[in-house]
Amino acid sequence: MKLSVYSLKKILYQGEASSINCQTVSGEITILEHHRPLLSMLKEGVLRILDGKKQEHFLPVKSGFLEVNKDSQVRMIVEE
Amino acid sequence: MDSLQNIKRRIKGIGNINQITKAMELVAATKMRRSQELALTSRPYAFAALDFLATLSQLDGVVLPAILEQRPIEKKLVVLVTSDKGLCGSFNSAIIREFERFLKKNSISFKDPAYAFLAIGQKAGQYLERRTKNLAGKFTRVGDYTTLEQIKPVADKVVAGFLNKEWDEVMVFSTQFRSALKQDVLTRKILPVSFENLKKSAQDIVPETGKFAEIAREGGTLIHTDKKEAKEYIIEPSPEVILNELGAHLVLMEIYHMILEANASEHAARRVAMKNASDNAEGLAADLTLIYNKSRQASITKEIIEIVAGAEVMN
Repeated sequence: MKLSVYSLKKILYQGEASSINCQTVSGEITILEHHRPLLSMLKEGVLRILDGKKQEHFLPVKSGFLEVNKDSQVRMIVEE
Repeated sequence: MDSLQNIKRRIKGIGNINQITKAMELVAATKMRRSQELALTSRPYAFAALDFLATLSQLDGVVLPAILEQRPIEKKLVVLVTSDKGLCGSFNSAIIREFERFLKKNSISFKDPAYAFLAIGQKAGQYLERRTKNLAGKFTRVGDYTTLEQIKPVADKVVAGFLNKEWDEVMVFSTQFRSALKQDVLTRKILPVSFENLKKSAQDIVPETGKFAEIAREGGTLIHTDKKEAKEYIIEPSPEVILNELGAHLVLMEIYHMILEANASEHAARRVAMKNASDNAEGLAADLTLIYNKSRQASITKEIIEIVAGAEVMN
């Protein structure tokens, strides 16, 4: 699935991802391919992204919002 | 005519001024580019945030949080965005002129308790402090290019006042960066939050011409979600909570954009003003050099005449 992580200062991540793990206000979730549409809020924690080549990326997050849309594209707007 | 020494001193002085204004011109040009860049990088973020808002607003039966609420307008907050420093041509006076026109048109006096004023930038602060007692606040040193940390107190103040019903509407006078040579004063309503206003200001970030206009055309569009699709969404923890947070966020974002744009405009205005100053200095130096050479020649001629006259007397 396609993932974009934006902050007000720059684009933090843009590209393919096979798994995204993050802390939302209702608990820790992992988003995989074909997730249901979702809108949620992120809380302070670490965003773990597993990209197409099984490479792990970590991004620190202070707060933010997360959306998975019907084409299972994931967009996040975060504050670092 | 001045003495040779005097003219020489003046030429030197003008040369120094020329050097300084030229340096300031270059610095302003670089800063302008940087603040434009900053404004543009935040664009995808703005569009994503707008999309989220659009999706949420498609849902039925959601209670709007106070920040998105439209209520009868009794009190207004007027925000003036200017620069801290001068030497930027008509940048600040254009904003103040527009503001005064607005006051006149609606026959508002500075004493009217239905209006509060907020100053961003030293110049607006000085202007308002002298005239009104309804000054809600003064924020200075928003800097060459503003940062989120600097904007936070401004946004907090504006939002808190709105939530406490100190004002029901927030209007902002700021400068829109249309191109490096053209900046316009623009009046925007930032509160209550409306989708149309937000969308417009996200699109306005792109200047009409120049390098950045090209880059921006490539990305940044809104993805439309219709009612049926919006129902499919799982929303955690609840639409109300997200809307509340998102609303505050959007206001912060909008103020951030506005001030970045004002920063870019300030630098653009300063660049033009400094360019004019250096051009003038160059012209002045050329004129003075001409006068200097003429008077030097005149004094040589005078000396020769004296010598010749002296020689003739001897004969």
